[in-house]
Amino acid sequence: MSAAAPGTETGSDTGSTTAPGAERPAPGRWTPGRTAAALLLPGLVALLLTYAMPLVWVARMAFNEPLPGGAIRQTLTLGTFADVLTDGHYWRVIWQTVELGALVTVFTLLLSYPLALFLARTTTRWRGLLIALAVTPLLISSVARTFGWMAILGNQGVVNKTLQSVGIIDTPLQLANNLTGVVIASTEIYMPFAILVMISGFGRLDPELERAAASLGAGRLAVLRRVVLPLTLPGVLTAGLLVFVLSLSGYVTPRLIGGGRVFVLATEIYDEAITALNWPVAAVLSMLLLVLFGLVIVVYTRLQRFVERRILGERGAAS
Amino acid sequence: MTDPTTGVPSPTAAGAGAAGAPAADEGHLVLRDLVKTYPGRHGAAVRGVSLSVPRGAMLAVLGPSGCGKSTTLRMIAGLVAPSAGSVLVDGKDVTGTPAHHRDMGVVFQSYALFPHMDVAGNVAFGLEMRKVPRPERERRVTEALELVRLDHLARRRVSQLSGGQQQRVALARALVVRPTVLLLDEPLSNLDAQLRTTMREEIRRIQQETGITTVFVTHDQHEALSMADRVAVLHEGRLEQLGTPQEIYERPASRFTAEFVGRANLLPATVVAAASAGEAAAAEVEVPGIGRITAQGASPAPGEPVTVLLRPHRVVLDAHDPDGGIARGTVLTAGYTGETVAYRVRVGGSGPELDVELPSGSHRPSAPGAEVGVSWQQGAARLVPAAPRSGGDAEAADGGGPAGDRDPRGGAA
Ligand SMILES: Nc1ncnc2c1ncn2[C@@H]1O[C@H](COP(=O)(O)OP(=O)(O)OP(=O)(O)O)[C@@H](O)[C@H]1O
Ligand SMILES: [Mg+2]
Repeated sequence: MSAAAPGTETGSDTGSTTAPGAERPAPGRWTPGRTAAALLLPGLVALLLTYAMPLVWVARMAFNEPLPGGAIRQTLTLGTFADVLTDGHYWRVIWQTVELGALVTVFTLLLSYPLALFLARTTTRWRGLLIALAVTPLLISSVARTFGWMAILGNQGVVNKTLQSVGIIDTPLQLANNLTGVVIASTEIYMPFAILVMISGFGRLDPELERAAASLGAGRLAVLRRVVLPLTLPGVLTAGLLVFVLSLSGYVTPRLIGGGRVFVLATEIYDEAITALNWPVAAVLSMLLLVLFGLVIVVYTRLQRFVERRILGERGAAS
Repeated sequence: MTDPTTGVPSPTAAGAGAAGAPAADEGHLVLRDLVKTYPGRHGAAVRGVSLSVPRGAMLAVLGPSGCGKSTTLRMIAGLVAPSAGSVLVDGKDVTGTPAHHRDMGVVFQSYALFPHMDVAGNVAFGLEMRKVPRPERERRVTEALELVRLDHLARRRVSQLSGGQQQRVALARALVVRPTVLLLDEPLSNLDAQLRTTMREEIRRIQQETGITTVFVTHDQHEALSMADRVAVLHEGRLEQLGTPQEIYERPASRFTAEFVGRANLLPATVVAAASAGEAAAAEVEVPGIGRITAQGASPAPGEPVTVLLRPHRVVLDAHDPDGGIARGTVLTAGYTGETVAYRVRVGGSGPELDVELPSGSHRPSAPGAEVGVSWQQGAARLVPAAPRSGGDAEAADGGGPAGDRDPRGGAA
């Protein structure tokens, strides 16, 4: 009962937040808008210190000039950008980053979708436990999981040993130290995220709609194609965005499973900054990664809008 | 095959029997001993329902919440698999046929319109599934939308429709495929009173125009009585009675039906003598506090307990001549409802209390405490069989049903 009173107060507070904009309150008065500002302040300060400032610092670094031996000349030049963008090696790195992201996203979505669909639709009382099980991999550090994959995919790994002892192959399959291994391990690592995002994004799914479709003559495949898929597409898109972005910035898996042969932006930035001590180049690559993120967000928003329009019934009878 | 209505000693039950078991094979849609037990649930949701719907008829399935109406409808549609029993259409067993091959139109209680399609898209869906070529598809969608008077909203998103419009889209979507059977699950329950009346007439009009055999679930007795050719009263998963609206209302086969359909005075009585037999069966019974009266309906042997049904609007009160009626009564309460005045009257000094409903304006209202003569027309009093389901009790044991639950009702008058 005592908890209800403050609750109702807050309720009326938020209800009146629009009023102060119309008639400006006295300078000394405490208003709901000011309460909100005060509550936001700590978070804002933290964000400024830990995110915005480093970002500005990195951006600034990109315009400095690298000198041999790790020294840096404070200046304002586009020379590092020009060097990076005219070097074929960096373009290959960018391409491989995007390629890895795309492959990982596609495989993660394909493997996660049926699982998420099952978990979202099941009525068993074990549903909660099953969802928890699906995300338990998150309890283990992705570094540990990557090492696990190395043990499985390596030339002396479980997969190759088994296939060889059964006699299906003679020479070991090249599953580690290349892109294939990174894709396999990354897919497994991002699946829990994808499943979680999909389940929460499948809100429009309603078993009654599937029954309605069945009563109208739709078989299981038609129900999936015409009802389930369109209604779950927004959730799939959001999961895809998350996986793609995570994969673009992924460092551990490409580094460990790539065996020094898979070059992506994250590993390249690390190498430039820590090994080559070339901070301006690392900063330029970081900026390029940010640009990639921006492009991904633009594409995602476009796709999202396209799907939403279809979801909301732009599609007609004669489709 | 056990018909749950057989063995009930009343002309109503005989009529129901004729429409049920013997004629079952002639009905367009036939249910045989349908049983559904949901996994992890005690007792069955549906406990052996058998009935038959003639071609082109409209059957209302009437019953209180949770009695198994939706479950029965879903078993007909193939959306829920029966635990036992079978569904026949045109004499063919379709129990094992999946929903998408049954060719039945279903209107769901929640409408279940596809949110990602517009009105025309929803209506066209069934035709697309049937691979109807595009020109014909478009023509039939237009026709169906004209039928429900929504052709002007074909391109509207379904989320931008009112409840009544959504309901009509759902109806058009189910009708456009020309299903062999149309199934409606409480299609009017989400509508306001006025729209409900309009839609009742509209559904009835469309059903008669198209001549589609229809099963229509409702818990509203007015809806069932006013719309249907036949009414099936369901209670705790069992068929209480199957008959025309008149039969259900005027000759209820059980206390449950008498109380659930319309308002009822139910008086405990004892048989004195059977006055006549056969079609116009009647008996002389002794009602404590009232005396001997004649009641219509087949009766058990003299000395057996029975229940007498007296509808409130069939009772007449005479304020001028308290001793001129069948019994003398005292008005306890009087309530004006506009169209009628509802009285509660105690008969005799310590006799039963009766609900009485008189048309307002037809009489000078009596105040509480007034002495009145209580009477009713010949034939207004009706015997209700005391053990309504003697034939169905064997099944009750199968379904694990609480057969004992029904006993305490004997004293509730
Ligand atoms: N999917 C299900 N799983 C388990 N039990 C169910 C399920 N559907 C219905 N039931 C139970 O079966 C019984 C009958 O349900 P049903 O939906 O057929 O009732 P109804 O007559 O349609 O009621 P209402 O008028 O409230 O819609 C109820 O006790 C209900 O709780
Ligand atoms: Mg229901």
